[in-house]
Amino acid sequence: MARLALVLGTLAAILYPIPLQIQGTTYYQTVGFLVLITAMLGVGWNVIGGWAGQFDFGPQVFFGVGAYTAALLYVKLGVEAWLGLLAGVAAAAVICAVLTYPLTRLRGHYFAISTVAIWMIAQPIGATWEYIGAAQGLFIPMKAHAGIVGSAVALQFSGPTKALGYYYSALVLFALTVALMAWVERSKLGFYFRAIRDDQEAAESIGIDSRLYKVLARSITAGVFAAGGVLYAFWALSVFPEQVLELNWSTLPIMATVVGGIGRLWGPLLGAVILIPISQIMSTTLGTGPLAGRGIDLIVYGLIIVVIAAFRPTGLLSLPWARWFGRRRPAAA
Amino acid sequence: MTELAQAVVNGLQMGFLYALVAVGLTIIWGLMEMINFAHGEFLMLGMFGAWWLSAGFHLDPLLAIVPIALAMYLFGMLVYQQLMRRVQGGDPFTQIFATIGLLFLLQNAVVAGFTSDYRFVNDTFLQKLGGVRLTLLGVTFAVPLLLAAGLALLLFLALYLLIERTEFGLALQATSEDRDAARLVGIRPQRMFAVAWGVGAALVAIAGAILVNFFSVYPQVGLQFTVLAYAIVALGGFGSILGTLLAALLVGVIQSVTVVYLPPAFKDAFVFASYLLIGLFRPQGLFGRF
Amino acid sequence: MRRLTLLAVLVVAALGVSTMVPAQPKVAEVLIGSVLPLTGNFASLGQQYLWASQTVEDIVNNDYDIQVPLGPGKGFPGLGGAPIKFIVRDDQSRGEQARTIVEQLISVNKVHWINGEGTSGITSLIQPVVESAGMPLSCHPCASPTLTEKGLKWFFRTGPNDKTMVASVFSFLKEWPERGGPRDLKTIALFTCDNLFCQDNRKVATDLAPKAGFKIVLDLTTKTGATTLASEVQRLQAANADVLFAVQYPAETVVFENDSKRAGYMPKVIATSNGAYSDETWLQAQKKTNGAAGWLGRDPTAIDLVHDRPAWKKVNEVYKKYSRGQNMGELAMREITGLLWMADVINRAKSVDPAALQKAANDTNMSPEQLIIDYKGIKFENGQNVLATGVVTQVGWDGEKHTLWPWDLAARANFKPIFPSPSWQERDSKPKPGN
Repeated sequence: MARLALVLGTLAAILYPIPLQIQGTTYYQTVGFLVLITAMLGVGWNVIGGWAGQFDFGPQVFFGVGAYTAALLYVKLGVEAWLGLLAGVAAAAVICAVLTYPLTRLRGHYFAISTVAIWMIAQPIGATWEYIGAAQGLFIPMKAHAGIVGSAVALQFSGPTKALGYYYSALVLFALTVALMAWVERSKLGFYFRAIRDDQEAAESIGIDSRLYKVLARSITAGVFAAGGVLYAFWALSVFPEQVLELNWSTLPIMATVVGGIGRLWGPLLGAVILIPISQIMSTTLGTGPLAGRGIDLIVYGLIIVVIAAFRPTGLLSLPWARWFGRRRPAAA
Repeated sequence: MTELAQAVVNGLQMGFLYALVAVGLTIIWGLMEMINFAHGEFLMLGMFGAWWLSAGFHLDPLLAIVPIALAMYLFGMLVYQQLMRRVQGGDPFTQIFATIGLLFLLQNAVVAGFTSDYRFVNDTFLQKLGGVRLTLLGVTFAVPLLLAAGLALLLFLALYLLIERTEFGLALQATSEDRDAARLVGIRPQRMFAVAWGVGAALVAIAGAILVNFFSVYPQVGLQFTVLAYAIVALGGFGSILGTLLAALLVGVIQSVTVVYLPPAFKDAFVFASYLLIGLFRPQGLFGRF
Repeated sequence: MRRLTLLAVLVVAALGVSTMVPAQPKVAEVLIGSVLPLTGNFASLGQQYLWASQTVEDIVNNDYDIQVPLGPGKGFPGLGGAPIKFIVRDDQSRGEQARTIVEQLISVNKVHWINGEGTSGITSLIQPVVESAGMPLSCHPCASPTLTEKGLKWFFRTGPNDKTMVASVFSFLKEWPERGGPRDLKTIALFTCDNLFCQDNRKVATDLAPKAGFKIVLDLTTKTGATTLASEVQRLQAANADVLFAVQYPAETVVFENDSKRAGYMPKVIATSNGAYSDETWLQAQKKTNGAAGWLGRDPTAIDLVHDRPAWKKVNEVYKKYSRGQNMGELAMREITGLLWMADVINRAKSVDPAALQKAANDTNMSPEQLIIDYKGIKFENGQNVLATGVVTQVGWDGEKHTLWPWDLAARANFKPIFPSPSWQERDSKPKPGN
């Protein structure tokens, strides 16, 4: 049952952009891209937030670290995007580990604010450090690459298959992230994370080093965010500090995770599939024409969020889906 | 030396304004441990209310405090009863989600109603004193800011007495520490939470009414103040009202003293770096109980 | 199980239906995709561009007796009277949202031209998308020089860039002593915010200030969204530069004014490269406090003289229908000038074919008489209008802007510059035009 859903879902995700490509409405591919990148970040955030149960409001810092690392490597040394992605993920994980270890002395909301603190310190660094372009940002020069393979290797798509290429790149990264996190979830690591979340003292009493595992959890999250940042940088072909360090890069994935169900592997995807199209539909219908510029679309969007939160605070995956659709569905968390 | 003394004085003056913004947060977040991402929007509503009453009815923002505080008290209660009470049934992160929705709703409702123009309040009592200064040993004090600081102190004193010296305050603390135990001794936790949200919203709206004397008003104004307010509550320590006040003053001084010698773009970064440094030695904040 | 299969069938069916291609209709109307920051951090800018597009839509589609392109007559004569239609969208001041909307405008709405995004940072993010789609993109109030330095073939800007505009401020300061201005202005302090717009201006100023004979004694980059600038004012006061070069948004400018007043700080000259100086609401509010009297800034046009142009007045009347009575500020003027130019291009191209539009745009040679603004005309090199100009204005005691430079326009404006910048006491004691 679950396997069938997975197969069907995968097929739908792979086939989804094809008719759009034929029709030429590539915008919907980009919406898919946004859904996937948000879901991917959400899956990453789930590790620190959902499994380890720590308030982390600052993962967008590592989104920025990834974007800057790959863009700098490409612009200054000509290193290809996918190598840059590995470097970005590694850099983010290491920087995150070094920064987070001392912070794990703080707990709960104190820890939460310390993650915000790192973000507040990162912002002026991004805005004033000349080597990384300061406020004027970094531009990744546009290049047309021969053939699909060339574009895919360089992570730079142009022409009519532009949106398609980025969609599949995001799909690949999302699939990799989910596969990796599914493995983490079932491994000892995942068990330790959840043990810390449920009762830190009890976890420590059975010999789990809570500080070490919190650092590990956050570094995994940071790695996923860095990968997202690299993808974003090559999609946007530029890195501006206020864009890659935007708060939105953490709030949107957190929101998607909450809607879907915190701590559930597929929660963020469900949340992103719901939230991003809703915001797009609102913007397309209520944000234009005579109503343009009044924020009506965002009012309604906010209202929808508030209603979802009030109606189902435990997330939509906690609804009795099994009772509605077929017999059984193994709990994802 | 005068330079440094002046910076400290400037910082203290700002610190009182920050304290005003943080005081509402210290109840909802610091005491009741509920996350409110829309705190800045409550502040913005207070500022817009003061601007509206001033522009439309020539009511001085200092007098507008009364109707605004009342309205926002009811609004805060409403938000708790209609939204946050339900949200409490889920994961704490759902509070983030719900209040981000609230943020979108409130901020854009103001955009829809008033557009995104910058608004300015003119000819208020505090502004007429704008250029009035006291000079002591070469250090200048701005009279309007001193008055605002006095108001902040009054609010803190009132809140301190309310929380620490009244039966209601004790019930509030009991609720924040253990909801079930509170219920056993006859406290209705949901009522406590609702009142806490009402008081928190009213206090931050009062802050807004005072801030309009010094700052322009626009729908996105909330964030810059509330980011600092969050740092202040955590720095002061959860549940400590005195801690919030002292942390706010400290934040004001850190901002102004560092910027005299170091790059101003890092103004808020210095505040947060200090939070991290202090946190390494005092993980529970300066005066936190837990 | 059965229900799941049903679901799968539905999904496939939905995909199938969506592939049915609607027939491409003949050009019934010219669609302009307009992506703007209508909410979020830059909303106060975005709404002016919204009003500008509504104004131009009205002027093109209705018969107005205004001597601007497409003023008289309805619609585009070159396209058989087809009307223009702006599809305006809000990107919430967010880059990824802007880019997604642009893809929607291109691939779903099938627009013929993209205008936006109004701020340079996000515009540089949508440039690659539009360029790769092969469709004209314009951003007239975007001032970052980099936008037209990337060798793009589909980007057009009728407005001046920051280099031109900051240069006009320094040309004025340099030439001022020969025209009866003060001779003792030697030092300058830079006071800019930390985003792309402010930093572009700062970069140009660091380059031009020494060339104009100024020594930079302090260079402060402040935090956008600062809640206090008291210590910055302290440093400015200590540096005691003759000229303060400030680029700050309205909110921070208000903070700066309050902190300066408290500290009693006032340099001899306050020269801005706009920010607040472009903002109508800030300028109007200053009339109640005399706060802006004596401030210098750069504008794309002699604002006190354009009022004499009949076309300007009439366009402003139309604009006020949409702006709830607010006059066109300089940003709105730049945008309207650009949008009217765009209408002219479409009309000359007699087609909405991208190549024809591109050619017509590159062939542009507009004379100053057709404009509501003081450019020397419109003519492109690499997408930049090389005839765009900068004008230096100063706010007088009447709260209005008056032209100081170039000198021929200044002679017509006949305004005696305010120097030195008046103290706060003087501002308080003089009558306020806003009361």
